Amino acid sequence: MVAASVDPLGDPFLRTRFALPARPATFLRRERLVKHLDQALLTPLTMVNGAAGAGKTLLVADWAADLGQPVAWLTLDPAIQGPGMFWAYLLQALRTSGVPVDDDIGFPADAGRVSHTLLARLAASLADRDGGRVVTVVLDEYDRVSCPTVSEQLAFVLHHAAPGLRLVIVTRTEPLLPLHRYRAAGAMTEIRNAELAFTPEETVALLELHGLRLPVPAADALVDRTGGWAAGLRLCALAARQRPDPEAYLKEFEAGHSAVADFLLAEVLQRQPPPTQDLLMRVSVLERFCVGLAGELTGRTDAESILAGLHRENAFVEDLGHTWYRLHPLFREILRAHLRERHADLEPELHLRAARWLGRSGLLPEMLAHGAAAGEWDFTARALVDDLAIGQLFTGLRSDDLTELFAGMGPEPASPAADLVRVARDLSHCDLDPALARLHHAEERLTSDDTDDTEAAGRLSCALLQALAARLAGSPKRAEQAVRAALELEREVPAQLLEKHPELPALLLTHLGSARLWAGRFEDARAALGTVADSTAGAATALPREESLEHLALIDYLDGWPTRAERKAVAAMTETERFSLPRASVSALGRLVLAAVAVDRNELAEAEALLDEANESAPHDPVTAAGRAIATARLLLARGKARAALAATERAVTADTASPWERGHAALIASAAHLAEGRPDDAAEVLRPVAGEQPTCAVGAARAHLAAGDADTALELLDVIGAEADTGPAVLVRATLLRAQAAHEAGDLATTRRLLARALTDARRERLRLPFLEAGAWLGPYLAGAPLRELAAGWFMPGSASGEPAPLMVEHLSGRELDVLERLAQLMSTEDIAADLYVSVNTVKTHLKSVYRKLSVNRRGDAVRRARELHLL
Amino acid sequence: MRYEIRVEGHVSETLAKVFPELDHVVMSSQTVLYGPVIDEAHLYGLLARCQSLGLRVLEMRQLPD
Repeated sequence: MVAASVDPLGDPFLRTRFALPARPATFLRRERLVKHLDQALLTPLTMVNGAAGAGKTLLVADWAADLGQPVAWLTLDPAIQGPGMFWAYLLQALRTSGVPVDDDIGFPADAGRVSHTLLARLAASLADRDGGRVVTVVLDEYDRVSCPTVSEQLAFVLHHAAPGLRLVIVTRTEPLLPLHRYRAAGAMTEIRNAELAFTPEETVALLELHGLRLPVPAADALVDRTGGWAAGLRLCALAARQRPDPEAYLKEFEAGHSAVADFLLAEVLQRQPPPTQDLLMRVSVLERFCVGLAGELTGRTDAESILAGLHRENAFVEDLGHTWYRLHPLFREILRAHLRERHADLEPELHLRAARWLGRSGLLPEMLAHGAAAGEWDFTARALVDDLAIGQLFTGLRSDDLTELFAGMGPEPASPAADLVRVARDLSHCDLDPALARLHHAEERLTSDDTDDTEAAGRLSCALLQALAARLAGSPKRAEQAVRAALELEREVPAQLLEKHPELPALLLTHLGSARLWAGRFEDARAALGTVADSTAGAATALPREESLEHLALIDYLDGWPTRAERKAVAAMTETERFSLPRASVSALGRLVLAAVAVDRNELAEAEALLDEANESAPHDPVTAAGRAIATARLLLARGKARAALAATERAVTADTASPWERGHAALIASAAHLAEGRPDDAAEVLRPVAGEQPTCAVGAARAHLAAGDADTALELLDVIGAEADTGPAVLVRATLLRAQAAHEAGDLATTRRLLARALTDARRERLRLPFLEAGAWLGPYLAGAPLRELAAGWFMPGSASGEPAPLMVEHLSGRELDVLERLAQLMSTEDIAADLYVSVNTVKTHLKSVYRKLSVNRRGDAVRRARELHLL
Repeated sequence: MRYEIRVEGHVSETLAKVFPELDHVVMSSQTVLYGPVIDEAHLYGLLARCQSLGLRVLEMRQLPD
């Protein structure tokens, strides 16, 4: 499971984001505000809203520290963009504050998305905690959230977690939450700028804390001038304190017309010793910093004492705890303006130095951000490659961020690492040709250079990209080579680097499995894919795990095991939901398998819906493209559109090597199209080259020969079927039906009945209806007769088996399936059931499907009736 | 489109450099920043910049081209 102290990519969450900010010694506790804030315990939503430097954060931090109960604190920053990151951090904030967060809630694995199920589960778990305990969550600097989706999702969670959640939002701007509704219902505590403003009396008290005495009337004028603005007053106190006659200075300031913070900050800055000024301006390029980092940017060894001094004076520097500091956001912006004026060209250099230091300290994401800000792309790309993090461009929480980060890279950077990043970008858009040329070039340079340890990570990254390129090109040989090379290189890379990146081996094996599957080496493919599918769950490997499950589902389908295929495809989709992966783009193959299974069951409308969903994304590899062609053509054939089916398979899949099953299935479809149009000889002919390769092709050929009146050849072909252990019911039932047809045509009634009974028994469990519909009209009279009618009743023939004993249930219903069934009996709609159970509509549909399967029914009404017969309700 | 943004107080030359795309003029107790604004995104960006620097916006209006 996801370890508590590690984010989904294995980087330590910066603890400072979850730390209650420390109050400086000069902090003035204002009882009127604390009392107002106590209302926050009574209302679901509290908003503390004011200008930069109005004293919002310290007010809430002080209140929270004295609350006597744990508070989950999250300070947002620009690195937390997009719903996936936001919720990942919020879950971590809850855990950090000691609120148990159930693993079942899931974890976002994609920066840009979060599943509705995760939110619903989180809301449910917060709403219903042991003993009705309430969780207080503070979101500081909420104005940093620019994504409207996050606010929508937050509103949803707040609404559904209402009894157990107190949300305090600290922000400069009004959030996009339905505030009017909360206001109208009196369910919101609101502290705005005007209330945060200091009164003259409070100003006197504040200045006193800074060692300044001022009569109330003088404070009055100061409040007038600053608008009671906390940051302005604080700067006033600092500036005045440095003067021989503070009171005169304040009078002078009151009479002036300067912009308050701008003027005062310049005053305070100028009075600092030059090394301090220099340090303050230099660290203004950083969100947060520690002594070492400040030393790196200033090149000074006394950064520690300067920082300690600044902190003691409460000038600019805030202590975040854990030896990290930050500048007050307002002061930081103004200091940056001063930096730009005094040292116009220094900023990129400072970013680069920060990047180097952060890199040495193992803070990769921050390092990459500063490397990019410095415009040092070769360096930044190299850092990514050396950290072995190239796989994170494809999977995990940070993929969007990284892609966006490198979007700023122009064509100039020429290092192998920059090329590898470009190759990764091209391959994720399936731009194969430019990627291959570039990859080749990068690889040559990486291997020709004097090979040392640091190059191993680069060459391993190359191998990963080679494996992906080989998979996309349909070249199993190159995929094998790449993975072999990768396994050797893994030995040269430090073990702890590999441990940090579980996505790397998972991606490698998935690509290898996909390529082996393409080549028809199902057993070898299963070995690779199974390793990934069975690996420990985690956000970093969520996508390869899902893809592996989908590929395994396809193998089961191709082997003729529809129910097994369905189960794996559904498991893959559950994985998608658990880790909030983007549905349309990755689960295309899973949907295609489900569609193909639905066609075999003659559930054509459902198959079409699944195909439509899967068609939203372009096929990214030959396996998916072939899967799409097969499912589409099968659906068209079942609908009697032979020509269109043929056309669907003719849209050739481009690949370096041919795939036996792709070829076989294309021929099968062509053969079926010929048969449908009355050309049995052509139908037999197209299958001739492949009939010996796969059982399913042999069955197709037998069907064509039988239709052509050549029963002997047909039976000969069928004799081979069943020898292979892996051949599943979808193939065997068709073979048995053909034997039955041959017996029927030979006039052997007893054999026909016996074979049909076997076919029905085998097909029933899988609800394989299509083979019987394909078999033709001769079946009808047999199925109407006594022994076979019972076997067909309930799942194939509409006639119900009334009066006969209900069939035994093969599998027991799970608890969740029973929940769904009970609600079904109350005539609730799928949407209502989903809302009631806090799961998504798709999950309910999945449960419904397995309920239908286990009860051997097709409709809601039948499911309820059957469940009553079995005393399940 | 062109805009002018009036903020409270005299803004120093240093701080005015945070708005390199705008000209500025200091008046009695205000500073007027003015110049071309590309689109709405730019406009909101300017407002956010004012906010992050602690500048109080008194008025903002579009100028005739």
